[in-house]
Amino acid sequence: MTRNAMIDEWYPVGIAGQLDAHGRKTALMGEPIEVGRGEDGNAKVTGANGRALPACIRYGHVWSSLGDPQKPLFAIPEADQPGRRLVDVGVVRVRCSPLRAVENFLDIAHFPFVHTDILGAEPHTEVQNYKVEIREDEDEVWATQVKFYQPQAAKSAEGGITTEYMYRVPAPTCSILYKTCPPRPGEWDVITLFVQPLAEDLCDVWPWMALFDDETPMTDLIHFQQTIFVQDRSILENQIPGLLPLDPGMEIPTRADLTSVAYRRWLKRHGYTYGAQLVAQ
Amino acid sequence: MRLSHGFVRGETLSCIYHGWGYAQAGNCLRIPAHPALTPPDTIRVATQPVEDGGGIIWISVGEPAAGPPRFEGLAPLRSMMVEADIAALEAVAGTKADGDLLDYTGNAPTIRLLLAPQGQARTLVHVLVAEGSSQAERIAASRAAEALRRAAEDIAHGGIAR
Repeated sequence: MTRNAMIDEWYPVGIAGQLDAHGRKTALMGEPIEVGRGEDGNAKVTGANGRALPACIRYGHVWSSLGDPQKPLFAIPEADQPGRRLVDVGVVRVRCSPLRAVENFLDIAHFPFVHTDILGAEPHTEVQNYKVEIREDEDEVWATQVKFYQPQAAKSAEGGITTEYMYRVPAPTCSILYKTCPPRPGEWDVITLFVQPLAEDLCDVWPWMALFDDETPMTDLIHFQQTIFVQDRSILENQIPGLLPLDPGMEIPTRADLTSVAYRRWLKRHGYTYGAQLVAQ
Repeated sequence: MRLSHGFVRGETLSCIYHGWGYAQAGNCLRIPAHPALTPPDTIRVATQPVEDGGGIIWISVGEPAAGPPRFEGLAPLRSMMVEADIAALEAVAGTKADGDLLDYTGNAPTIRLLLAPQGQARTLVHVLVAEGSSQAERIAASRAAEALRRAAEDIAHGGIAR
């Protein structure tokens, strides 16, 4: 058994604004951890036996790792752009593989059926061709020129529009979605899915957003995103097999699934297999 | 994703996740993400014979030798999932199951449970009550079934039956 490459990655373990000296007990890849604020005011994360774990605060969340991260947390340049509202959506516990949670986030073909009349609606079910690549320099999965008709693309959208999307996977359990911004043509709203792997079949999902929207009350923005994700949860908790297969098997991918195909290939190439199903070679 | 989470429209059974529609023979008719595509015949799901008998939907794995059983004088009440195995249900009911049938008499009139194990520690239970039961009797039977479920799940989770 080799050391899993995912050990050395950063993971979200809590909301930065909720840190306190008392600490919060949670888990990371099967190990009990505690997330709190140290005497110096910085985030402090302790693993089993009290060992100090790497910690940083970024994008509204506390990030940590069980191993030795070889690079800093991925960049989201838009997070520092003036005029954006930063939304801590909170946490949703999902009884599924952390990789399944990310894969579902990358999928648009389910919008008319799972997020009916919000992110999609029949008969507008077609997924047009889009571009997918593994960018070698950044070592990230990217899908671009993704277009989909949406009845209510965002809290700030009035009526149906064809929304354009870009997806980024910069880390095995994190994805960033760039989406047409109704009040600001030319800019992209940023919606992320940060997934904390508690176990191979259990995760805490921390969605986070950086939006151009000065009108909508914060509560409504949070409710919108939570509504969407709770609809996803009912799917995620019923997927078979529970772990994400990295090798071709029973599932039949179509052109609409090319992002998922690239994500699985990228995971396999790096040995990111925590939450994956490995078929005997 | 199981097709049982899906929906029937016309003569087509559709998956809840991406809306792929299947005909009665099991072949895929429609992939909504690609409306112009005729799905290849190789995309198909297994089918089983199905029969509606006495208000219960039965399927058989393989060719059935006879029709489904009839339960004279009983009518279906509700179905529920129990996070426990049959042994836990038997322990609470204080009686052994006869095949996939378990009769339970709590503080209410006797109910008959049809047991369908779902893996190791989960049982799908279809609850039957006496035909012609009043609304009050049906509510009592439903509560009795729920109490049975809670007690069985307590046992399954290492607790002690109430």
